Amino acid sequence: MTEGSRPAIVARGVRRAFGQVLAVDHVDMEVRTGSVTALVGPNGSGKTTLLLMLAGLLRPDAGTVEVAGADPASSAVARSAIGWMPDTFGTWDSLTVTEVLTTMAAAYRLPTDLGRARTTELLRLVHLEEFAATPAHALSRGQKQRLGLARALINYPPVLLLDEPASGLDPRSRVDLRVLLRRLAAGGVTVLVSSHVLAELDEMVDDAVFLSRGRTVSSEALLATTTQRRRWRLRSLDAEALQHWAFDHSVTLYPDNDAPVGGTSVLVELADDAAAARLLASAVAAGVPVASLAPVSGLLEQAYMSLDAERR
Amino acid sequence: MTTDTQQAPATPSERTFTWQGVRTVLTLELRQRVRSTRWKVALVVWFAIVGFVAALLPGLVGSSSSGGGTWVFGLILLFVLGLGLVVSPTLASTAINGDRVAGTLAILQVTRLGPAEIAVGKLLAGWLAALAFLVISLPFLGWAALTARVAPWHFLFVVLVLALLLGVVCAIGLGCSALTARPAGSSVLTYVAVASLTVISLIVFLVSIPAVTTEERVEVLTVPLDANAECEWVQTTRSVIHTERTWWLLAINPFVVLADAAPARGPESWDYGPLDAIKEGVRLARTGDQPRYDECWSENYPAGVTPQREDESSDTSPVWPWGLGANLALGGGALWLAIRRLRVPYTTLAPGTRVA
Repeated sequence: MTEGSRPAIVARGVRRAFGQVLAVDHVDMEVRTGSVTALVGPNGSGKTTLLLMLAGLLRPDAGTVEVAGADPASSAVARSAIGWMPDTFGTWDSLTVTEVLTTMAAAYRLPTDLGRARTTELLRLVHLEEFAATPAHALSRGQKQRLGLARALINYPPVLLLDEPASGLDPRSRVDLRVLLRRLAAGGVTVLVSSHVLAELDEMVDDAVFLSRGRTVSSEALLATTTQRRRWRLRSLDAEALQHWAFDHSVTLYPDNDAPVGGTSVLVELADDAAAARLLASAVAAGVPVASLAPVSGLLEQAYMSLDAERR
Repeated sequence: MTTDTQQAPATPSERTFTWQGVRTVLTLELRQRVRSTRWKVALVVWFAIVGFVAALLPGLVGSSSSGGGTWVFGLILLFVLGLGLVVSPTLASTAINGDRVAGTLAILQVTRLGPAEIAVGKLLAGWLAALAFLVISLPFLGWAALTARVAPWHFLFVVLVLALLLGVVCAIGLGCSALTARPAGSSVLTYVAVASLTVISLIVFLVSIPAVTTEERVEVLTVPLDANAECEWVQTTRSVIHTERTWWLLAINPFVVLADAAPARGPESWDYGPLDAIKEGVRLARTGDQPRYDECWSENYPAGVTPQREDESSDTSPVWPWGLGANLALGGGALWLAIRRLRVPYTTLAPGTRVA
């Protein structure tokens, strides 16, 4: 959490190709210690490859990677500082949930009693206590995902690399995940999380790293997207009053094509939150029965869409 | 949710090979294996097959009093090895690529476990599984050894050699599973390797006989036309088969290694079994054809006075140390390959594989 301290993850000019396919072209990034940072990008933009390099499984063709102050490729210090949860992973299906975690603890060379204590603690944390003696193959997809998260946390990692951790989770578990990650960050853990559920990331991340075609998108470009005018959805109980007010105040209303049929919502374009507050005050003052005014999409989604536009 | 999730981890050491690490992988693999019912069924089937063969053999080769015991022991021993060579490849030949396909390999590779710990742990697990098959064959082997009057230490030694040979096959399987992307591919490759050691090497040996046969001037001790005269050396041209150039094809054969390591035959002329036949054959092959032939088959020639030349006596030193050594070297090489292939970070990836 300390400002100005060394970043927990640093990548400089990282590049990695698989044969003819250039998965990661040029990645420069810094992830602040104690932050939750989103890794966002379209399918095939190199997120998983980048995470593999950060986890020390893949050697970059060029550039350098540093996690927790060391090269994850060569250093046991860095390796024991990383918790990694891959996007697709299997489970040792004959092992019970408890055995999976104690095995991982042993693989990280934790003393047996500490490993057992940590296992109990983590099972409680991801709400799998009642499945402690269940074979891993009997778990549902979401439960396996939670087990995967517990597995990534077994070695008390100060740096957590999560590749699509929310996939397969029910809404309740997603909220739990968000709370857990925020709490870990508050305790000084650095979390780098890739996900496609942008609305969810929006609520928990401090920073975002955008990947497009294997390159990090520059922060200036990002800044530009976030200061763009965003669309807000305005819902009122009286469509006619809204129309009159809009005409009087020269507010351009756009049809809301995504709204359910029969709704009385329209879209407006606003520069920032202050503009939204002014618009709302004006509408209410004019007697328009406003039910809600909210951004159509989150900041991340907005930025993501501009990446996507670039892709086409 | 109140517990502190962050405690300082113990300061990590850079050691990459520890017994604790090997044991972690070994325990994991054994738990994975032992709990599958398939495994129990395989053991039961094995016990039944070996028992069935052991029950039938005495009827086939005769009772133990007339030397049948030696035959029963030899055949059961070779049969257990043969069955072991069929089963062992399945125990280790998918250990690495199977885990990669199942998505459980990378999870171990990111931990503090070193590549050697993972490879050795997997090898030991496969070997222990193979030894389980050997152990449940022991009642039949032991009984056959008793009827063949094999000394206990000799019996233990042969079983040890058998165990080592099965370990070599497991190591080869492990190496193959590190080499190929698909589990089916490595299984086939392992069987091809085992077949190369056992059958193909034998075929190559036989097929190569014309290639090592040369027309040479040789000396033959032959019966003279005059029946009362002494046998005499004459020079003639003969086909000489130089198996001393190809005998190693036989020596690397696990069956030959096992037979050659078996105890020496008993003093009685009927104490002669299949193991002795293989042993004699391979040692003869190592000696090769001699440049001199004794064909003094005259009946009235006084026995023991044959003008034998001492330097031509065949080499009867054991062959198995060479064969076992070659097999162990092969297994060691396969293990080394597996360790190399497990090393992370990957620089190159085999086509068709994913890291995780």
